[in-house]
Amino acid sequence: MTMQEAIACHVHDGDFLFIGGYICRPPFGAIHEIIRQNKKDLTITRSNAADDFDLLIGAGCVKRFISTFISLGLYGLARCYRRSVEKGIPHRIEVEEYTNLSLPMMLMAGAMGMPFVPVKDMVGTDLLKVKSFMGENKYKMIDSPFDGKPTLLVPALVPDVGIIHVQQADDRGNAQIWGIGGDCKWGANAAQKVIVSCERIVSRETIGKDPSRTIVPDFKVAAVVEEPFGAHPGYAPGFYDVDFSFGYLYQQASNTVEGFQAFLDEWVFGIRDRTEYIQHYIQRFGYAQFKQLQAKFDYSFPVSYAY
Amino acid sequence: MDTHPNDYIKPELMACCGAREIKDFDVVIVGTGFPTMSANIAKHTHAKNASMMQESGVYDARPARPALSVGDPCLNPGAAMIGGLVEVMGLFLQRGWVDVGFLSGSQVDRYGNINTTVIGDYARPASRLPGSGGANPIGALAKKVLIIALHDRRSLAERVDFITTPGYIDGPGTREGWGLPPGTGPEVIITNKAVLRFDSQTKLAYLATYHPGTSVDEVRRLTPWDLEVADDVHETEPPTAEELRVIREVLDPYRMIRIYEKRGYV
Repeated sequence: MTMQEAIACHVHDGDFLFIGGYICRPPFGAIHEIIRQNKKDLTITRSNAADDFDLLIGAGCVKRFISTFISLGLYGLARCYRRSVEKGIPHRIEVEEYTNLSLPMMLMAGAMGMPFVPVKDMVGTDLLKVKSFMGENKYKMIDSPFDGKPTLLVPALVPDVGIIHVQQADDRGNAQIWGIGGDCKWGANAAQKVIVSCERIVSRETIGKDPSRTIVPDFKVAAVVEEPFGAHPGYAPGFYDVDFSFGYLYQQASNTVEGFQAFLDEWVFGIRDRTEYIQHYIQRFGYAQFKQLQAKFDYSFPVSYAY
Repeated sequence: MDTHPNDYIKPELMACCGAREIKDFDVVIVGTGFPTMSANIAKHTHAKNASMMQESGVYDARPARPALSVGDPCLNPGAAMIGGLVEVMGLFLQRGWVDVGFLSGSQVDRYGNINTTVIGDYARPASRLPGSGGANPIGALAKKVLIIALHDRRSLAERVDFITTPGYIDGPGTREGWGLPPGTGPEVIITNKAVLRFDSQTKLAYLATYHPGTSVDEVRRLTPWDLEVADDVHETEPPTAEELRVIREVLDPYRMIRIYEKRGYV
């Protein structure tokens, strides 16, 4: 399936999306396609958001954001997010704030079919004083029925769609990752269905040679899309490095509304799919720079599952 | 050779102040920049068995270049364990295994509360900051917390605009009242002018040591509350020759630490 088809079939206006990644494996190909298809009123979530969420917010696709953190990392505060929250450009998104402990636990609860989960953080701070669209259901403070101690409960999250980028998957969607996980596994499994974007599609037999790496099984997966370079300007371990110079380019572009629009025109609207994206990248920066991002190889020792 | 060379820059001194708070065998959760530098200095000097983790899911990374974020590609090859947030923030931090957490904040107050959410009113912010990320749970659950801050009347506050991360909150007993683990809380605020510690009774930050080149009076003038001064207040020990060798030859040969001078840590 193409990303165009996957997003058209499975992402609808008003949906609640989990979008995985942690600089490691952000599904940028899917994010660009969501913007191209002009999806609206989305609720988006993941722990530690970055330039990918900033892009969706700036493009006007987002109504609500269940957040723990958003920045451009090395390049400072997230420009579109700030413009939205501070000035209402293009509109003011609603933000519900959690933390990098509580949000992954809420996704874990969703993935496990639990209604809520106790967490030990957030108490005593102003994070309990601010409530947005989740209102009184942002959290509940109770005395533990076991020992009477004050206990914070946060609700399970069940997104309509989980979108992740992985190193490899088979054509039915058994999805395998290695390297930094963020909240990818729990967020994807919490969702009603999953869109898997991958660096390469491999055979079911290849998956079976190292099945412990699989984080999502095929029966949860609605679409599989092969998108090499799909996490750029983020990285995929074993495939390519993070692109810091592109991060700087995005920071400079997103400093102004006009610059941001020009960025969208060049890198999202002016491009049909990930193949064209790679071609445009090479045209713009040269093959040497593209090649320089490619990972070296340093294979692990093969493991054997035989008995 | 001089045991305390005087050609160091202020960020090097601050990194060493952080390193000296880390004990051998400590389990440390680090962000990038000062925390990583401090933990590595400790590991190469007095705390060889200290171990580090990043909230993104990495334990005991062996990066071949300085990590520029907690999700940096260089943290992957060579690590002892990689999972995700549920592993590091849940299995390790919430379960109580983390000895030292290391945080910085746009705004820090006299109880060691940290603001990384918003400057001004929450609903109509003058400046919207990134949010908690891992800071709140680290401040809540690490056994001791080290805080890095700029020392001026804007970055330090009598009361932060928004408590993102708990220090001693409203003072003695507040953390315990909320059910946070006993004995946890901020240990020091390391600034570019001084090291502040917390009074065991009042939980208020007081001046413990002032850095070479400044004075008790200057530090008090730059602090927006009436800063108490320790009876044994003295000058901060400058970086040792060995600490500087580790920073310059092993950890940071390209002197990336200089970017902190541009950010005001002078």
